[in-house]
Amino acid sequence: MHLSLEHLLAVRDGEATADAAGHAASCPECGAEIERLRTIQRGLAALPEDRPEQDFWPGVRAALAAHRNRRHWLAAGWAAAGLAAAFTLTIGVRGGLEAWHEAKLSRETGELVAASQQLEQQLRTYGSAGRVVSGRTAGTIVQIEDRIALVDAQLSRAGSDRVPSQDVLSLWQERVRLLDALVSVQTSRTAYVGL
Amino acid sequence: MALNFFEPATVLHLGEPRGATTRPAQTTIVDELVLARAKAGNEAAFETLYRHFEAPVYTLARRLTRTPHDAEDVLQETFLEVLRSIGRFRGDGSFAGWIRKVTASKALMRLRTQRSRVPEEELSEELADAIAADRNHGVTPIATAPERLDLEAALARLPNTARAVIWLHDVEGYSHDEIAAMVGKTASFSKSQLARAHARLREMLEPTSEGPCT
Repeated sequence: MHLSLEHLLAVRDGEATADAAGHAASCPECGAEIERLRTIQRGLAALPEDRPEQDFWPGVRAALAAHRNRRHWLAAGWAAAGLAAAFTLTIGVRGGLEAWHEAKLSRETGELVAASQQLEQQLRTYGSAGRVVSGRTAGTIVQIEDRIALVDAQLSRAGSDRVPSQDVLSLWQERVRLLDALVSVQTSRTAYVGL
Repeated sequence: MALNFFEPATVLHLGEPRGATTRPAQTTIVDELVLARAKAGNEAAFETLYRHFEAPVYTLARRLTRTPHDAEDVLQETFLEVLRSIGRFRGDGSFAGWIRKVTASKALMRLRTQRSRVPEEELSEELADAIAADRNHGVTPIATAPERLDLEAALARLPNTARAVIWLHDVEGYSHDEIAAMVGKTASFSKSQLARAHARLREMLEPTSEGPCT
């Protein structure tokens, strides 16, 4: 009677019972099987390293910049002020439908920035110290935060535009939607643990 | 003082696999100043870390997930997590061990998300069909292809969980208890998945042979 595959693996890894180890030492067939398992293990470890086909550093760098900027924005609230200034400038200097359209974009973007700040303020009230969450909830939170970081990275890249564009508006819409989802997760969690 | 970013996992540190890793030790010395600067938000230092760990992180992600696209997502998510959490890294374990654990966690989370959408049994059937199709259409049989390609191709054809367990255990050096904690199952589950993975590899690498042990 030979050893099962689980027992053979345990012998290979030095975790087998004395009986199993004793059998493996005296049975040439099981010994050969263990050697085969070691060969597979060495073969796996020797597989070559892979590299991604494209360079993802620019995206990570943008996220790094956005990470720094987000804190700055939160403290200074410059985004709302800047957009308000852009709105005034747009109305004052330009006329006609184009100006109206740009003003509308500015106003809508400004509203989204304000909503975004309000949601972030709400999130801060939940705090982060001593958070106890289930693995599933923690995973959801991390996924949402990652997506927010990516949106922030794109906003950071678009930050040099003086006048808000439809793309920027869409990014802020996505940001508010994600923050809203994050608040919902936090609210559910808070209610669940009775905080 | 310099940090060895690729200390072998046999040097035990908190948060690292406890078993003896079989991956050849790669030694890359990076001044700890780089880590300190990255913690302070220095972009050049963070890029240095990214360049050092891009390939190992991508490779681990590629082994654990199904597609290059998944691995690319895991690569980015890992570095976003590193960016977010590097300030909390205290240096009581190796940075390489910490980043490997973040990568594995992100990859396993992705597999869980995908599993909730597509049952693994369906994926396995798809894979079995793919292998059968290869054989029926005269594509070079797996067993006669070059050995390295054999093993890599066979690994890629394993079911998600079995593939993740065999890689984390046999290559990354995690114990069954550690893998159990990572996948939210028991150590027995991890052991049975490892055995399943080896059995499937045997079927694919030596399709006509029968093992002496049952």
